[in-house]
Amino acid sequence: MGLEQYKGDMEMCCRCSTCKFIPMQRVSGHDFVNVCPSISRFNFHSYSGGGRLNIGAAMLRDGFQYTDRLLDIVYNCQMCGACGVSCNYAMDMEVLEPIQEFRIRCVADGKTHPALDKAIAGLRAHGSMVPPTGKRGDWAIGLGLKDATREKVDVLYHAGCLTSYDPSLQKLARATAKILQKAGVNFGIAGDAEICCGGRAYQMGYQEDFLRQARENMALIKQAGIKTVVTACAEGYQAFKVLYDKFKLRGDLEVLHISEFVDRLIQEGRLKPRKKVGLSVTYHDPCRLGRLGEPWVHWEGKKVPGDRFVFDPPKTYRRGTHGVYDPPRNVLKSLPGVTLTEMTRIKEYAWCCGAGGGVSESNPEFAQWTARERIREAESTGAEALVTACSWCEKAFDEAIRETGSALKVYDIVELVEAAIS
Amino acid sequence: MALSKDVYRAFEDVVGAEYICDDPVIMPSYHQTEFAAVLLPQNTAEVQAIIRLCNKFSLPFRPVCTGWTGKFAKGSLYLDLRRMNRIIEINEKNMYAVVEPYVISAQLQAELMKGGLHLNVKGAGSNCSAMLRGHGHLDQTTSGDDRNHLAIEWVTPAGEIVRSGSLGSSDEWFCGDGPGPSLRSILTSAVPPGVTPGVFTKAAMKVYHWPGPAKFPIQGVSPNYSLSEIPPNFMARYYSFPSVAKMFEAENKIGESEIAFELMGFNVAMVAANITTSNEEEEETFRRLSREVQGPGFFVIVAGNSAADFAYKRRVLEHIVAEAGGKSLASLEDPRLEGILLCQCIRISASIRETFRPGGMFSSIPVMGQRDLTIQWAIGAGKAKEPLIAKGLIVDDGGAFFGWGVEQGHLGKTEIFCKFDPQNPEAKAAVEAWHKEQSTRAFKERYFALLAGQDEEIGRGLSNYHIWWNEIQKELDPNRVSPEGGALV
Repeated sequence: MGLEQYKGDMEMCCRCSTCKFIPMQRVSGHDFVNVCPSISRFNFHSYSGGGRLNIGAAMLRDGFQYTDRLLDIVYNCQMCGACGVSCNYAMDMEVLEPIQEFRIRCVADGKTHPALDKAIAGLRAHGSMVPPTGKRGDWAIGLGLKDATREKVDVLYHAGCLTSYDPSLQKLARATAKILQKAGVNFGIAGDAEICCGGRAYQMGYQEDFLRQARENMALIKQAGIKTVVTACAEGYQAFKVLYDKFKLRGDLEVLHISEFVDRLIQEGRLKPRKKVGLSVTYHDPCRLGRLGEPWVHWEGKKVPGDRFVFDPPKTYRRGTHGVYDPPRNVLKSLPGVTLTEMTRIKEYAWCCGAGGGVSESNPEFAQWTARERIREAESTGAEALVTACSWCEKAFDEAIRETGSALKVYDIVELVEAAIS
Repeated sequence: MALSKDVYRAFEDVVGAEYICDDPVIMPSYHQTEFAAVLLPQNTAEVQAIIRLCNKFSLPFRPVCTGWTGKFAKGSLYLDLRRMNRIIEINEKNMYAVVEPYVISAQLQAELMKGGLHLNVKGAGSNCSAMLRGHGHLDQTTSGDDRNHLAIEWVTPAGEIVRSGSLGSSDEWFCGDGPGPSLRSILTSAVPPGVTPGVFTKAAMKVYHWPGPAKFPIQGVSPNYSLSEIPPNFMARYYSFPSVAKMFEAENKIGESEIAFELMGFNVAMVAANITTSNEEEEETFRRLSREVQGPGFFVIVAGNSAADFAYKRRVLEHIVAEAGGKSLASLEDPRLEGILLCQCIRISASIRETFRPGGMFSSIPVMGQRDLTIQWAIGAGKAKEPLIAKGLIVDDGGAFFGWGVEQGHLGKTEIFCKFDPQNPEAKAAVEAWHKEQSTRAFKERYFALLAGQDEEIGRGLSNYHIWWNEIQKELDPNRVSPEGGALV
């Protein structure tokens, strides 16, 4: 069905502009009121969530007319879903799904972005969204971790492409492994056999490449008898938990983000953070752990003829309500000497780090602009450090800080947990 | 349709290449209209330069802030004012705020509340420009229409910069009528077309005392926001009455005693829309609330400046309601629902849930005038909705209407909606017919319906106002570059 299934949703857009702002109740002043990086940076209404739907509806009606400007609009979006949360406070309609389908349509029609084509070529060649810097499992050398493809484990830790290959971020994978070891979790990794989750390929519009990755991952998991997957990257979390489920590939696999797992381990007394960290922090909700990390809701039905946009059976919209918001905060609050001060835009209406949707590849300047805006917001809290729970976010923020010379420090939550338990 | 290269370059020289676009591919996002180009000016000087070029090239333009649906002329220039988004000044002492057009009400309100002030948030919603002309939930205590605009910086359709009121003789924004030129009837008139030609680039908005907290204690995750506690000295209630006459009697007395922070003559359909998070829940809630009320009603917010003030206002309110045979809707006394309604009506100004959510579109007839009379007209318009409801062409809201008094008075606004699916041609045609029939009846019965495009009907009833207005427009806009106005959209 593709984009066509969302015709009614796109036609529902009343052009009220709420997709540009955080939910109105949450507006606490003049600053930090914007929620969509794309309209904030490019200004023309067509770059907003509503504008994208208006264009989609028009093209379904009048035919697709690809221009450079259209592709600029399509690929300058982090697919962060914030527009949908703000819209869905009041409206019953899909927002991100048709935007995603529009992008898939562009790729199917061969209207791709060269930088994204290059990233996907790398994925097809190496099973990774980032260029390999060695063997995928090199980060684990010396840690004595189990190979989940050969040994029986309760939990598979999926490190992800960026964490596995980026020398500056491999510390996150090692920190995660040490935390799991300290808690006595029977876990393993796939090491060199690990491949990309496919999530970023999906965001970029390459649905078939995503599905190939998803099927291969699930085959590995099934063969190894894995019941639980833990990721420390929000991209992987959303792929395994939400997208695999959307395409009915996940089965009954339990998917946990490391922040959820650590929260559970602390509550069960299996992990005891005792060492004082001593840091004032603010927390950045990664889009794909937060609003886009909420479970997929399977639904099939038809619009009920008549005056209202209602369906039989009734449709449950994913409005960002059930994302992972509390576990990372619980973890931070449990770390001795860590004080958490919230930013203005948090949880379901958090501002994106800029790296999503392939923007860090297709328009690094825009990705950086988006990250700088978040750094500015984090600085406004007076915190010493910005903590996130995704390696893609950490990379984006590190680059922005290097560029701006900000004194703010950036950590992944696993780094602070590791410090508190070592 | 497209601009010639030379003309395009002339505009590009004003705003810069990044802020002009004439690619037809973006136009569907701009109200499905084939605009010649969209421009994003950053300041008054750029707006002025654009308008001068519009005069030179005989190109009509239309300025817009956050938007909403609207009808626009093909081939005109669209001035998207989103880069003009600064709060210039909040003057607590003299109680006004100076803003650019793209400051939304939610932003200004949040800043004002920190200093114990607030403003009239228009019915279009707090997601719209704080400069917007019109009415809203808070009209009882913050008035509406022309009463809230003080000095204005205005770029006329001829490209002149005019500073009205006190700004015309000094750098002060405190008054719209002097010392300096008062242009109230031209700039902020409530009489249709209600839209001044040209562009308002800055305006001082009157602000009011806010007895509430610097920030509402919101909890929860969207769309399930609620208040962790009802702010001290605040109360929200819905009262229903045995008859329209009794309801109006209570409304009038509440106005006379000046005890209500807000009085909104909601029907329960609109209450249901505001407290629910989906269409299905709204439908079920409407049916349930309809069974709980005894007749027509209104929603009231009481806000005290102190515990004693609150107690007094509450006591007076309860006395007036009891005298009129009113009953509080028990289910809305639940603090969770009370908090949601407080927030919806003060911070959101309701709007989208009660207008667009059900079917995607609504058609409205707003009428200004003496409330007891306009209510009688609205009852008739509501009855005329019943056949459409029976056929399933419009949303079942019980045929209801809504309205409120302005400035605690008996004069106010009464309005009635039809909510429908615009993709259904039968529904669209039926609603258009209803709209035409009921607005015609309004004019015939000498009600002041605020409808765009009805200048002649209103003008005839107001000393041929429309003829004078047309003459003024010719002087202001000799080249007809701003035929549709739009200075405060």
